[in-house]
Order: sequence, then structure tokens, then C-alpha cells
Amino acid sequence: MAELRLRTLTFAAWTGLLVGAAAFTISGVSQTAVGFIDWFLPVLVWATAITVVSIITVPAPSGSHLSLGIGAAVGAAILVPDHAALGAAICLGLAATGLVERGLSMTTSRSDGDFLTDAIGMAAYAFSYRFVFEAFDVQLTLDPSWTIVASVAVAGTVWFVIRALVAALVGLERSDLAGRYLWLLALEDWAVVVSIFAAGALFGLTWPLMGAWAFAVAILPYAFGHLAFERYHSTRVTYGQTIRALAQIPEVAGLAPSGHSTRTADLAIAIAQEMGLHPNEVMELEYAALMHDVGRITLNEPAIVKAGYTDEDIARWGSQIIAEAPYLEHVSTLVAQQHRPYRSPGVAMDPDVPIASKIIKVASAYDDARIEMGLSPIESLERIHQGSAYEYDPHIGSSLRRVLVFRGEITF
Amino acid sequence: MFQDELTRQLREKKRIAIVFAALGVAILAVLFFTQSFPRPFWPWATFAAAAVFFEWNAVEVNDKLFASPSVMVMMTAAVAFGPESAVLGTAAMAALAMATPADIRERRWFQPAANLGQLVATTAVSTGVLAVLMVQIGDESGEWTVSTSMVGLIAIATGLAAAIYGIVNLGLVSFIFRRVYGASMNTWSHVPAIVLPLIGMGFLGGLLGTTYLLIGPASLPLIAIVFFTGYMAFESYAGLREAQLSTLAGFIKALEAKDLYTRGHTERVAYLSNMIGQHLGFNGTQLERLRWAALIHDVGKLAVPREVIRKKSRLTEDEYKEMQGHVHHVENLLSEVEFLRPMVEIASNHHAHFDGKGYHGSTGDKGETPSLEARILAVADSFDAMTSTRSYRVAMSQVYAFAELRRFAGTQFDPEVVEAFIEVLTASGEQYGSPVEISEDEARRRAEHGFGDLSARARMKYDELRQSARQRPAESDKPEANRG
Repeated sequence: MAELRLRTLTFAAWTGLLVGAAAFTISGVSQTAVGFIDWFLPVLVWATAITVVSIITVPAPSGSHLSLGIGAAVGAAILVPDHAALGAAICLGLAATGLVERGLSMTTSRSDGDFLTDAIGMAAYAFSYRFVFEAFDVQLTLDPSWTIVASVAVAGTVWFVIRALVAALVGLERSDLAGRYLWLLALEDWAVVVSIFAAGALFGLTWPLMGAWAFAVAILPYAFGHLAFERYHSTRVTYGQTIRALAQIPEVAGLAPSGHSTRTADLAIAIAQEMGLHPNEVMELEYAALMHDVGRITLNEPAIVKAGYTDEDIARWGSQIIAEAPYLEHVSTLVAQQHRPYRSPGVAMDPDVPIASKIIKVASAYDDARIEMGLSPIESLERIHQGSAYEYDPHIGSSLRRVLVFRGEITF
Repeated sequence: MFQDELTRQLREKKRIAIVFAALGVAILAVLFFTQSFPRPFWPWATFAAAAVFFEWNAVEVNDKLFASPSVMVMMTAAVAFGPESAVLGTAAMAALAMATPADIRERRWFQPAANLGQLVATTAVSTGVLAVLMVQIGDESGEWTVSTSMVGLIAIATGLAAAIYGIVNLGLVSFIFRRVYGASMNTWSHVPAIVLPLIGMGFLGGLLGTTYLLIGPASLPLIAIVFFTGYMAFESYAGLREAQLSTLAGFIKALEAKDLYTRGHTERVAYLSNMIGQHLGFNGTQLERLRWAALIHDVGKLAVPREVIRKKSRLTEDEYKEMQGHVHHVENLLSEVEFLRPMVEIASNHHAHFDGKGYHGSTGDKGETPSLEARILAVADSFDAMTSTRSYRVAMSQVYAFAELRRFAGTQFDPEVVEAFIEVLTASGEQYGSPVEISEDEARRRAEHGFGDLSARARMKYDELRQSARQRPAESDKPEANRG
């Protein structure tokens, strides 16, 4: 449903871009003194540049893949003097980007929502840059280079806010934490964004004076950061793999049901995303869910098994082990709390049980019922609902139900 | 003997500190009278702040290889200042970078003094060459103005100057290192790894310098932004990498701690393997791989039931199989982690023998000699096993363990690795295992008579002693190698 609405919107935006390109071209050509070819050639060059650069994405710290297209638009806004030509180039470039993205089926890292966000953001940037630049040019008596730098900074801020808003609205289709989401997203990705803008502005400034060297000046320093962001991303992936591997030690030792931690983590992530948790929270939840049973390694001590143990012991042992790893303190507290009921009798809600711990509790219990007890999906879900007086948070239970419906495991 | 060595080092350090500090001051004084200071002041201050920031915050990319864009800042500044003031301007910036906040906090004298001379001399030589080249590139009027046609030549000149910077820096640092520590740094093997990135940075610095001259100060914030964000990304990458290593290490340590007999084993094996690797002249990447392999070599054992590991009597066939299975557990668990794959290969072969017998991982063929890293790991692992208390025997003495290693050299162990290990461990003065002479039979007999715990306590005492022996004063104030 949400996907369909997004698709319709994206298609509408795409059509709008084509119409915009045509309108800008007609008005531009009718006003210009040069012929159609001379007017249209730079438009085509810039449209191509925007398309080519847009296809390159950089993995931002928040986990989303940002398109570099805005960098090319920053350069175009500085270097294309004619308003109509700039509008036509951006519309055309974006429309072509939409086609290429679809053709290359880049849906793995980029979704429909990303294209919509980028298109609206870029259009907003071009408008506000031109507006701000002309205002600054008249009002302030600065060196022309400073005027450009200041205008890029102001228009870039406008772009950043508008883009974050649109991204949150797009995300709102699936999330109920829009305000927080927006703020944290803005905080996390600013470094990437700022460096893309600076590279675009450097190109715009140096091209008239240095010619082809402008490519080197703009691209080489940025490439260093780009590489670092990519490495950061891939290290984060292998970090996840490392944790996944360590979490399986109790399973390999035969002390925990095989595959339980992976399945629990997958389900917990789905619930967290359905509930609209922030990407960082989801990541911590993933680690905690993967390692929630790691305390079971203690059970290879026969004396302990003989003495008996509770779920609380497993949680505590697990969190003690995880606490030994620096940078995972929070994950350790999540694991320590995973056995706790979401409320005690007579209390509305225990405020100090983290939502991630409650999600792990539900996901793990569901997996136990489903796999260990061999119940059907609906029977397993019923067990969660039955336990929602104290044990399982009903919000998470209903989120679990929506996830299962979405996965087609149960139908209503 | 150890004390004599320390006294000699201190004397040498004092001598080098005086000579280098004097050299730095002398160069600055000469430049002060032959060059003009860059004007206006604030761009110089901006460049200087950036250069100092990058010098202080060099990121360790790969064992002892530091990535710091300070050389690029120097080259940008040199081009921006022009031949008249390039050398003085950049040398003054280098002088500012001589002491890090940590140096000041801990009141170190040697490193700042050595760095003053080292950094100033390096910078003066490289920007001096650059200044000469800039005069050649510039037009006849002698005025330093840049035109589009000069951009390429300037970038090439700065690339060359940065390469000179790298070579002079490396030469001076390894000179200091050799004088103080007596050991050779194997200098010239580092040249490509250091000089190639420097050429790139110098090239870029030249481009940015001309950008500054053509566009004016408005380009400064843009250049700064691109750099700082790139640098920050790199730092967070390095931090995450560090986090990954320490997560794995901490986790393994915590799991191991569940068992008194294996406590600290992994850490010690990693430490000993690293020692052997260094002695055999491994480079940074190889050492890192060896450390990781040592760290994970016993992960599989964590999945083997304690009863089997701790059993006092002989293992049954099944139990023996289960014990050997730990090699496969490592593979099953960690082969999913992409970057660990080569390390998993080393770790899974640590029970393979030099003559091709023994227990191979799935990647090693029976009858084949395992890789050098696996051979090192085998020696370190066996040595620590012999000198630690196990359920079935107390710890043996170091002398006895050495004899055992030598006895099986050529069959189970690589003789070269064994000799290297004995040499480096003897030289280090560290002591492992029982303080009294204990052979294997004696160790078993004592365990049967319940001396195991007693000896475990003695061992802890030894651990403490070793800790204090390891904290040698000389470690902390080496001049930072490979800066730039």
C-alpha cells in the first residue's frame, strides 16, 4: 500500500520533471538571442553530468546511500547563467537519472523514496541558490567568490532541511518517530553532505580559471573522503559479521538451539523497523538480539547445569561477557534486561525496560514457540498475545502481528 | 645489563635532543634572515593551524603507518606563499608541530626536541627544493603570479617536494632510532608505502595552492571542509576498525575467563606470536594478520564441552575427535567474516606439523608444510600450553619447554621459528612457567598430588612480575616514525 503510493508519487514527480524540462526549454529559447542548438547544448552537457554523477552513491553513516548528484547541481547553479537553462538541465538530468536507476535496478541500495527526495531537494536547491545569490549580489558588496561561497552555504542549508523533511515524510509511511528520525538523520549525515557541497562549489569556482584542472581540484580531495566513507561502511558490515559469528559459539557447542539467534535477530529487526526505530537503535538491537543467548556458553560447566539456572542468569552471564568488549556497553545492558517483563502488576509500564530488550523478548519467545515447540505461526502469536498481561508488551505483539501479515505467514 | 642499556639509551637521547634542537633553531634563524615572513598573517595562521592539527592527529592506518595530510597543507601553503617566503613560512609551521598535547602533558623532552630538528630540517629541505622550482616555473618578472598554464608544472613540483619530504623524514627518523635503540628499522622497505601516498598528497597540495592563488581566500573554507570531513571519515573508519579488534579480543577473553586453566592463553599466544613475527622481520600487515590469527586460534575450543577440555585422564576416541573438532569450529564460525578469511586459514592450521603430519584445517593438505604464520602460531601455542597449568599437570619450567621445542624441531615445529623464538624470548628477559625446574613427568605427578592450585597461585605471581617487566620506560618515548 505504502509502496504503491510512493510509486505513484515518484511517477508523478518524474512526469513533472519532463514537463518542467519542456517548459524551461520553450521559455529559454524564446528569450535567448542565440539559436536553439547553442542554447540547448550546454543544457544537454549539464543534464548528462547530473545524471552521471547522480548514479554514484556514497554510503552515509546513517546507513542510507546518498547520491552525489547534488554536487553536480551545485556546480551547475554557479556556472550556468541563464535561469531557464539551469532549470532545463536539472529537470532533464533528474528525469534521466530516474530512468537509469530503474534500468540498472539499483533498488538494493536506493528505493523509490530516495529518488523522490533527491528530485525535490535538488529543485529546491537550484531555486534557493539563484534567489540567495541575486539577493547577496545586490545587498552585500563582497568579493564575487565570497558571494558564491556564502550563497552555496545558505542554499545548502535550505536543501538540507527540505531534503530531511521529505525523507522523513517518505519514511513516515512506515515510521512513527518522524521528529526524532529527522533530527538524528540530519546529525549523522552532515559530514558527507557538506563535503559533497564543498566539492561542487570548488568545481564551480575553479572551472572558469583553471579549466580541466578543476576536475582534479574538485574530485581528488573529495575522493579521499568518499573512500573513507566506503571503508567505514564495509568495516561496519564486517563488524556485524564478526558479532554474528561470535553469537553462534553457544549454538556450535550445542548449548542453544541451532539458528535461534539469527532468526530472533531477523524478526527483531523487522519489528523494530516496523515500529520506526532509528537506524542506530536497530543496529544495536540487531547486535543484542544476535548475542542474547551468548550467556549459555556458561552452561558447558556441568556444575552450573547441576545447580540449576534461570533466564535471568542467562541474561546476566551474557551481558557480562558482552561488557568485556569495549563499545558494546549499551548492547550489554540490552541483553541484561531481555528477560524482564514489560510491566509489573499494578504498574502501568516499567519505564526502565528498553524497547529493544522488550522486542528481543517477544522475538525470542515467538521463535521458541515456532521452532522448539513446533507450533504454527498463528498459535505462536497467540502465545505472545496471551502473555501480554505482564510478559510481552502488547504494542510489540501487534507490531509482530503486522510483520507476520506482511510476510504472509498469517492472513487476516 | 638491562640497566646499562637504559643508561646508554638515555645518554644517546640527550645527545640527539641537543643536536637536533640546535639544528632546528639554526635552520629557523638562517631562514629568518634570508626569507620574508608570509603576509598577510591570517592565511598563514589558518594553514599553520591545519598543519598542526593534522600532525597532532595522525591516523594510524596500518600498523605504524600514519596517514596525516599535514604534508599536503605544507605544500598548499608553500605555493600560496610563493618562493620568497615559502621556506620560512612552512618551517615555522613545522616548528609549531614539534610537541603534541600528550608530550606537553607528560613533560616529554626527547620527542619534541628531536622533532623540532627533524621536522624543521625535513620541511626546509623539501620546500627549499620547491622554492627553486617555483622560481623556474614563474615568469621573468620575478613576481609570483600564477596562470592556468602553470598549474600542471606546479603540481608536479609539489609532488616531487613531498617525495623528498618523505625520504628525508624517513632517513632522519631511522637515524634517531638506530642511535638510540641500536636496532635497525629496516628503513628502505618502508619507502614505497610512505613516499607514494606523499607524492599524491603533494600533487594535490600544489593544485590547492594554485586554487588559493587564483580564487583568493574564499577557497579556504571549501578546501578546509573537504579535508576535515574526509579526515573525520577516515578517523571514524579507523575507530571502527579498532572497535572490531577490541570487540573480538574482549569477547574471547571473557569467554576464556570462564575457565581457570585457559585464562589469558589467547592473549599470551598473540603477544608471543607478535614477538616472533617482529624478530623474523614481518611488516605491519603481516604482523597484524598474525595477531588476528592468534586471537582467533582457540575460538573453536570455546565450543568444546568443558569436561573434555578439563579431563584429567586420557581422552576416549570420541572425546579426542571432539577436541580436534575445535579446529573446524573456528572455520565454521568465522569463515563468514570476509576479512578474517586469511587469518582463519592460519588459525585452522595451528595444529599442523612442520613435516606435514598433525592435524590440518580444511584448507591445508595433509603432508604439506603449513604457512610460516601457522608455524609461528604452533610454537607460541605449544610453549604457552607447556608453561601453563592444565587440569592434568602443573606448569613446566621455561627451560624444560625450550628443550621440548628443540626436541620436536624439524618434525612438529619449524626449527628456524623455534630458534628465533628462544632467541627473542631470552633477550627479552621475560620468564614464563614454573620458577623451579619441572619436567613433564614431574608436572603430572605434582598435579596428581594436588599441587596444581599451589602452582596456579605461583603462576599468577609470575603474571604480575611479567606485567611489570613489560612496562619498560623506553617504549613510550620513541620518536614517532613515518610521520607525514
